[in-house]
Amino acid sequence: MQLKNAIESPCGLRFMLDQLELQSGFARRWLLNSPMMTSSEDIAASYAVLQRFADFVNRVEPLFINTLNHKLCGLKDIRTTIKNLYNHAVLDDIELFEVKHLALLASDVNKLLDEHGMSDVVVIPSLDKVIAILDPDGLKIATFYIYDSYCAQLKDLRSQMRQHPKQQEDLLIQASELEDDVRQDLSRQLHPFAAAIEQAQLALAQIDVDLAKAIQMKQMGLAFPMLSDDGSTRYQAMFHPQVKAALADRGREFQPVDIAYGEQPTLITGANMGGKTVVLKTLTLCQLLFQFGFGIPAASARIAVKDEIYFCIGDEQSVEKGLSSFAAEMQNIDAVIKASRENRKLLALIDEPARTTNPTEGAALVTALLQVLANKDISLVMTTHYDIEPGKARCLRVKGFENGSMDYQLVEVQDGEVPHEALNIAQSLGIDSEWITTARNLLEASGQTA
Amino acid sequence: MHHATLWCVSGELICYHLVLPFIDEILRYDSLSIVGLEKNTGKTECLKYVLERMPVQAKRIAVTSIGIDGETVDQVTRTQKPEICLHEGMYFGTSEMHYRQRRLVSELIDVSDENTSLGRVVTARALTGGKILLSGPSSASSLRRWMNDMRRLGIDLVIIDGALSRMSSASPAVSKSMILATGAAYSANLSTLVSKTTHVVDLINMDLTSEDNIALLKPLEKGVWFIDKNGCLNSLDAVTSLSQDIHFEGMEDCATLYVAGALVDGFLEKVRKNKSLKQVELVVRDFTKIFVSPQQFRLFLKAGGRISVLQKSKLIAVTVNPTSPSGYVLDSDTLCNKLSEAIKLPVYDLLKNKD
Repeated sequence: MQLKNAIESPCGLRFMLDQLELQSGFARRWLLNSPMMTSSEDIAASYAVLQRFADFVNRVEPLFINTLNHKLCGLKDIRTTIKNLYNHAVLDDIELFEVKHLALLASDVNKLLDEHGMSDVVVIPSLDKVIAILDPDGLKIATFYIYDSYCAQLKDLRSQMRQHPKQQEDLLIQASELEDDVRQDLSRQLHPFAAAIEQAQLALAQIDVDLAKAIQMKQMGLAFPMLSDDGSTRYQAMFHPQVKAALADRGREFQPVDIAYGEQPTLITGANMGGKTVVLKTLTLCQLLFQFGFGIPAASARIAVKDEIYFCIGDEQSVEKGLSSFAAEMQNIDAVIKASRENRKLLALIDEPARTTNPTEGAALVTALLQVLANKDISLVMTTHYDIEPGKARCLRVKGFENGSMDYQLVEVQDGEVPHEALNIAQSLGIDSEWITTARNLLEASGQTA
Repeated sequence: MHHATLWCVSGELICYHLVLPFIDEILRYDSLSIVGLEKNTGKTECLKYVLERMPVQAKRIAVTSIGIDGETVDQVTRTQKPEICLHEGMYFGTSEMHYRQRRLVSELIDVSDENTSLGRVVTARALTGGKILLSGPSSASSLRRWMNDMRRLGIDLVIIDGALSRMSSASPAVSKSMILATGAAYSANLSTLVSKTTHVVDLINMDLTSEDNIALLKPLEKGVWFIDKNGCLNSLDAVTSLSQDIHFEGMEDCATLYVAGALVDGFLEKVRKNKSLKQVELVVRDFTKIFVSPQQFRLFLKAGGRISVLQKSKLIAVTVNPTSPSGYVLDSDTLCNKLSEAIKLPVYDLLKNKD
């Protein structure tokens, strides 16, 4: 899976990318095409690089970061030109300009990074020889034309052009033949550097991405995760950046949550509006951020690497596609069960399965799902409103509605019994009292309490 | 430069005096767009005329085009589409395709990320004089970005070869001054041509609204709004002036009515027919947002309506091409005089003055 496929996940990954201050479109494309990492070594290596950039962002002047970012802004996508260079094609002026522009940019960025001992983090190959070929007068300006100094005869023709504008058309034709020879010669000289040019372009994109990630970590207060080696995952003071920002806009604070899960199923119960869905969204987001090498929205995190991540949430889109919400949900969960039979490490986060059907069958479906997945190599975190037998599942409960406000903390409980707070919460929302009172009376009449 | 010299020698001193102030005035602004009301109204001739007279030694000039058709021959009328002649030292923005076809020596300065149908937009500086086909950024917003890049390069004046019958490049949000090219191609009937052109000129020359209104309304990019007599801003629940269900109830104390988007006939008529809005000043962003017929516009003004803009560009001159593509020719002097009288601005037939 590439980042561009993960971005549509309803967990809020798009928000993180939108907030990422990338300087160049090429770096954005490179990032979107990057694959999800599924090996601990890759993830550790990627965070080691990001750590260097995070330290760098913390110790240098913001002005210096601006200078560097301003340079990275000039990174262009010249893959077509590089391909032509590999294929021994003769480059035209625009392509030669692109190569020169990139070579000078690579040299400038390298110099800036070197000033702060950062040139070894993402190594940019030296393109000094490329610069020498395309900058015969040593001007070090990123402009280009077939310079007079490439060819004495060309220089002569051009000065004639300026003196005799009337003969310009003829002189231009003669000059263009000489220019073609120069282009051919330059392309031949540049061909051996195609790989170095390609590497430099990728290195600059990676620098842009890592610098942006490091800045985002600082801005959002994100943490470096530890890699878990026992299959368990644990977050302290985990938060959802998008929800946090939305709350902050309304002058409210996000209450961070501590949570841990392992390879046995975890069942989250709790009152309506208790933030269960936000917890699942955040867990999904954190796992994706981890496997794409971003900072983690938590005070601390210890995360197990997974091969596949499933986030099942009743979403509007499948309804738009003509599926009923129940059918769409069943198909999503079906995919999880099928995947769990293959030998891969999975993380599945399922929000209130079978919520749209009758409580009798719904509870049976959820209980059965827990039993089916309990014996598979899968980390499962599931929320529900049904009273079900948890079996091997660990049960977490949202603390809930206390003294007129919601406490979003999760506490471990021994059984999956769901709290009966719906009527109290509805009442606090100012919902019609006749409705709520009638419901309360019905419950009392049937011997249950609310 | 050659033409200027030839002119003096040929002794057409009247033209000399008439025309030079127009070039001087252009140099007082940092941007100029040249817009034709129809194909073959002499827009490109006008651009050539201006470029030939630019003091390239003293000023850094950049030229580009918007919404180009990209052919050397005009696809609609089959008339030759001319290449533009640039002087040494001028900057220009054109597409990759046309850059490759250039007939001058030039130094590449930038290749943009934005794609047009003819490739990316390339910025270069002419190292010799010579000819180039101009095509440039394809939207007003990318044109604005290109112009900002030019400012960063220290360019004194950007000249835009505007799109035909599309005013977006002449929007005051893009360029500070403009030249309007009209002619027999727009209408072969002299009085129709004069009245249609006058309507456009009237729109361009609409008054600016008050400083207070500009400060209050400029940030509003959509919707219909009104300012009451106490200076309070209120939103009318209509996304655009096109909406069918716009009601003006409870607006007795409305002093200013602002349409952020397009102003259309139906809306203008409703305002005109509403008794409680008799004293209202109607404000639009700029003249390019007005899509009302000359009839409705005149009726509105006759009924005592006032209409003004948040920003305007300076109309420097109107040029005419008395020849239509079908070969019909209007009398140049009569056309210039009649039009000049109607719009109270000098009108030039550049081809005639060049002879």
